[in-house]
Amino acid sequence: MRVNEELFAKITIAFSFVIMAVGGTFGLLQALNRVPFLSLPGALDVSDPTYYRILTCHGVCLAVAIPIYWITGLAAFVSPRILKVELDKRLLALSLAMMLVGGVMATIVILAGKANVLYTFYAPMTAHPGFYWGAALLILGSWVFIAAFVKQYLQWRRLNPGVGTPIAIYGLLATFIVWIEATTPLVITVLKDFIPMSMFGKHVDVLETRTWFWFFGHALVYFWLLPVVAMWYYLIPKKLGVPLFSESMAKVAFILFILASTPVGLHHQFTDPGLAAEYKFMHTILTLIVATPSMLTGFNILATMERGGRARGGNGLLGWLAKQPWKDPVYLGLVTSMIIFGIGGITGIINASYQLNMVVHNTAWVPGHFHMTVGNMVVIGYTTITYALLADLFKRKLISKTAAYSHILLWSIGLFIFSLAYYYVGLHGAPRRTSNIEYGGLLPSTWILPMEISAIGAILMFSGGVAAVYAVLGSLLFGKTKGVAIEGMKIGNPHPETTEFNPLLENLKMWVIFAAVLIIVAYIFPFYEIFSRGISPVPPVETGLS
Amino acid sequence: MANDEGIIYEYVWIVIVSAIVAGMAASLAYYGIALDLNPACNATPIDVGTLTENFQPGVKQLGPGIYQVNILAGQFFWNPNKIVLEDPVRIEFRITSKDVVHGFEIVGTNVNVMVIPGYVAEFVWEPPKNAQGKYLIICHEYCGVGHQFMKAELEIKRTNTLLSGDSINTTGDLGKFSEVKYLEFKGVIVDEG
Repeated sequence: MRVNEELFAKITIAFSFVIMAVGGTFGLLQALNRVPFLSLPGALDVSDPTYYRILTCHGVCLAVAIPIYWITGLAAFVSPRILKVELDKRLLALSLAMMLVGGVMATIVILAGKANVLYTFYAPMTAHPGFYWGAALLILGSWVFIAAFVKQYLQWRRLNPGVGTPIAIYGLLATFIVWIEATTPLVITVLKDFIPMSMFGKHVDVLETRTWFWFFGHALVYFWLLPVVAMWYYLIPKKLGVPLFSESMAKVAFILFILASTPVGLHHQFTDPGLAAEYKFMHTILTLIVATPSMLTGFNILATMERGGRARGGNGLLGWLAKQPWKDPVYLGLVTSMIIFGIGGITGIINASYQLNMVVHNTAWVPGHFHMTVGNMVVIGYTTITYALLADLFKRKLISKTAAYSHILLWSIGLFIFSLAYYYVGLHGAPRRTSNIEYGGLLPSTWILPMEISAIGAILMFSGGVAAVYAVLGSLLFGKTKGVAIEGMKIGNPHPETTEFNPLLENLKMWVIFAAVLIIVAYIFPFYEIFSRGISPVPPVETGLS
Repeated sequence: MANDEGIIYEYVWIVIVSAIVAGMAASLAYYGIALDLNPACNATPIDVGTLTENFQPGVKQLGPGIYQVNILAGQFFWNPNKIVLEDPVRIEFRITSKDVVHGFEIVGTNVNVMVIPGYVAEFVWEPPKNAQGKYLIICHEYCGVGHQFMKAELEIKRTNTLLSGDSINTTGDLGKFSEVKYLEFKGVIVDEG
């Protein structure tokens, strides 16, 4: 079979929504089963260890699999159209095969109950080797895609010297650079520690493997959200018919993401004994710095929206807000995802604030936070961008605009209820990743009511998710092939994609080298501490079997 | 495409953002350095194979109000699972795991430390003067099928009214908050007495 860009994008994007249906359903079951003293009817009652099996699946599917498939699909469709240079077809075919085989393999192992290790799979808990091989294959497959993407970009650069990189492509490049930064340490530890541990019983140092994991784990966050940021920059001005407020500042934001998204992983390990306060504090400062590009983005997009609203006749202090194209679900979704991300991002600063982290670490606060950030970016961001792709890529008419609106509305309202409840119980010490928080009736009474409210939020989120999956997969299967309910991306229209050439901003090679230096500086000290003290390996513990 | 109209506001915004970030960093540094409020950072490697000889779980009183508490975590227990301390001023915790990663949390306080097999976590907690009654200890890191059953209890008894301060909170609610201002995490290595 010949894999061209369109086929690649169609398969990966459609597959993302199949995964979303599975992972989202598990999410609802988890939220319901965590409510203290709630007895559920048979089919909804998930007892242990099934709870941890579906929790693993929820995390791996929604946080790792969907972003990889959807982002590569988006890039495969958008970049050849904007750059007018084709992607290498053989690399595309290889990448698709690796990603599908890897993802399906890992999912089967998880669903079979052979990998109840959650998405963080901390050693020395060990899963069936198929889980690690599947994950490795999925990630290496994404590297093959990135090779094709970079090859295409360099070819475009040779053909178009002295032209600024289009902002969508710039953002996708930043996304993939961050992904390479993130996954390199993951691949190292999976090949060096986890596969030998699960196949041959190798003893591994847990502190060391945790440090490798979080070296990956936070940059992963930026991989999730950068493509949506790129699409805010690309699509919002397009929908408004005005240029972006400041294209150079958008590129500065992406450079800051490239520099600071990876050397921050210790903020997930503040409470890990064995890592010095000085290094934890260094990562705290870098984490605060990585908040700046998001603040620059918020300003840039809002200023663009104001400019667009005024051009459409909005007057006064806030009159421009009423003149936005809110009736376009793509526009509504993009702006909604930005507002929610802003709120979620602020709670992330609390997580990252060193001493404050002791109050919220591993509590329900954390899922409250990341559903507002990554959950929102995937379910609102990815999905509404896919609505635009229905016209461009799938040549289908959106099956129901009502479904698209209900998706955005129900999911957002549900998310606010769910996350606020989780923030509250988290501040009161309720743990995350726990199937039952009753503790034989010893739980603080402050946990009960908010947990009940969170279930209502989860039901609304699930309803919104059903609407989203129906809007996308329903349109693909039953949508009309003629007519347009929602306009597509209008690539290359109305104005040319290329922009001014700024040598400093276009020299990505230099920024990647700076990023590498910063990462080495940030990680050489903690690793020196771990290895100079002498590692303390422990035997694997089989716990994935049910 | 270049449009310099209003670009001055963006520079103003960059200054504001930088000031916010610098202010937050400075306040965290102040708490860390001046008030010595840091997360648990000290650990001593230990061979999990020799835990039975080298690590004795239990409570030892080292002086008036000073306790050493050694806790062993495992699937799915804390040992000891009931800790009673009278008028604690300074509690020196030493915690390790015999199998997988666990998470030590005293609900309603800021005590929150990962328990990593192969390492003994060592930290000091100076409980707030109004801390009193029973506290729930849970495991907050997924550790296997029985993770949700892992719990223990810490009881703080107050006999000396001078030590317990003016504002005694006698609700006995397990979920009550400690006052952060008295709380201290120091990475102090505790010598075996």
